[in-house]
Amino acid sequence: MNETDTPAAGDTPDAIDAYLDALLARLTVRPERVRRIITESEDHLREAAAAGMARGLDVVEAQRDAIEAFGAPSVVARRFAAEEGVLLPPSLLLHLVLAMALMGSVGFAAIGVSGLVAQGMGSIFGVRFVSGDHNGVTYTPARCADFQKYYPGTCEEAATAHHFDEMVDSRITAGVLGLLGLGVLFAIRRSFPRGSGVRLLPSTFTPTVGAALFGIAAAGMLLQSLAQLSVAGGIPGEEAGVGAVLSAGIVSLIVFVGYATALVRRLRAA
Amino acid sequence: MNNDVIRGHLDLLLLAVVASGAGHGYAVIRALRERSDDAFDLPEGTIYPALHRLEQQGLVVSSWTVAEGRRRRVYRLSGVGQRALVDGQRDWRAFARSVDAVLEGAR
Repeated sequence: MNETDTPAAGDTPDAIDAYLDALLARLTVRPERVRRIITESEDHLREAAAAGMARGLDVVEAQRDAIEAFGAPSVVARRFAAEEGVLLPPSLLLHLVLAMALMGSVGFAAIGVSGLVAQGMGSIFGVRFVSGDHNGVTYTPARCADFQKYYPGTCEEAATAHHFDEMVDSRITAGVLGLLGLGVLFAIRRSFPRGSGVRLLPSTFTPTVGAALFGIAAAGMLLQSLAQLSVAGGIPGEEAGVGAVLSAGIVSLIVFVGYATALVRRLRAA
Repeated sequence: MNNDVIRGHLDLLLLAVVASGAGHGYAVIRALRERSDDAFDLPEGTIYPALHRLEQQGLVVSSWTVAEGRRRRVYRLSGVGQRALVDGQRDWRAFARSVDAVLEGAR
C-alpha cells in the first residue's frame, strides 16, 4: 500500500472508521450494494478488533491488526469491482478529470502568456520576427487585397500584420479561458478544503505529468526555434516567424520549471 | 500457499464452510482459516465478493440479523448450493486422485 491508499490505521482512536471511509471512496459497485458492503465490513472489522483485544492487544493494535488482515481498501474495492466488471472507480475518474482540467487550464493560461510574450517580441524585434511568412510564401491578389483592406503597406507587410494580430488575439483569448478554468477549479477547491476528502491520486501526480508535458513541449519548441535561428544566420528572411514558436517555448519552459520545482518539493516532503 | 491457487477453488471451499452451519462473514472466514491450519491466508476483505457472488448464483442465501448491536449478514447454504457442493467434492476428489497418480509416477 502507498501513502494515498493507507488509512490512518492506528493513528486515530478509531482507525476502522478511517478505513471504512477509504473503502467507501473506492467502491465502484452499484449504489444498492455499497451500504451492505460497508455494513458487513464494519461488522467484520469490529469483531476482529474485539478478538484482538480479547487476546490482550490494546484497541489501537487490535484495530490495526484487523485492518491489515482485511486487506488494503483498494484491493478489497478492486475485488468487488471485478465482480461487476468495473475497472476505473468513478471517484478516481473524477480526481483524474480534475487533475487534467487543472493542467489544461494552466496550459491555456500559458498560451495566453505566450501571446503577451509574442506581442513583446513583436514590439522589440518587429512583427515579421513573430509572424512573418517563410521565404517563398505568396498570396493571390484577392487575398492580398483582403489583407490590405485592414493593414497598410505591401501585401507581405499586411499579411504579416494580419497574422500577428490574429495570433496574439487567439492566444490571449485562450489565456482568458485558462484563467476562467483556473477560477472555476479554485472555487471547487474552496468548496472542498484541503484534507476534507480522501486523496486518491499521489500528490506528485499533477507535477509529474505537468513537468513531463511542458518539458517535452519546451524542448521541442526551443530546439525548433534555435534550429531556425541558426539557419537564419546565413539566409536573410529565414528568421521570419520564429518568434511564434520561440515565445511558446519560453513560456513552456517557465511552466516546466514551476511543475518540476513543485515535484521536487513534494518528493522531499514525502 | 499461492493465493491464485486458493482463489481457483475458493467457491468450493466457501460452500464447504457454509455447509457446516450458517454464519456471518467473519465466522466463515475464520473457519476457512482454521480448517486449513492457516494455509488459506487471503486478505479477509476479498472473501466477501466471493460470498456475494455465490449468493447471486443462488448457491448461498443470506439474511440480516442483529448481534452485539450491529447489523450482521448471515449466510447459509441453499439447496442448489448443497448439490453444487456434492458435485464439487466429487470433481475435486477425482482431480486430486489424478494429480496424485501423475505425481506418484514421478518418483
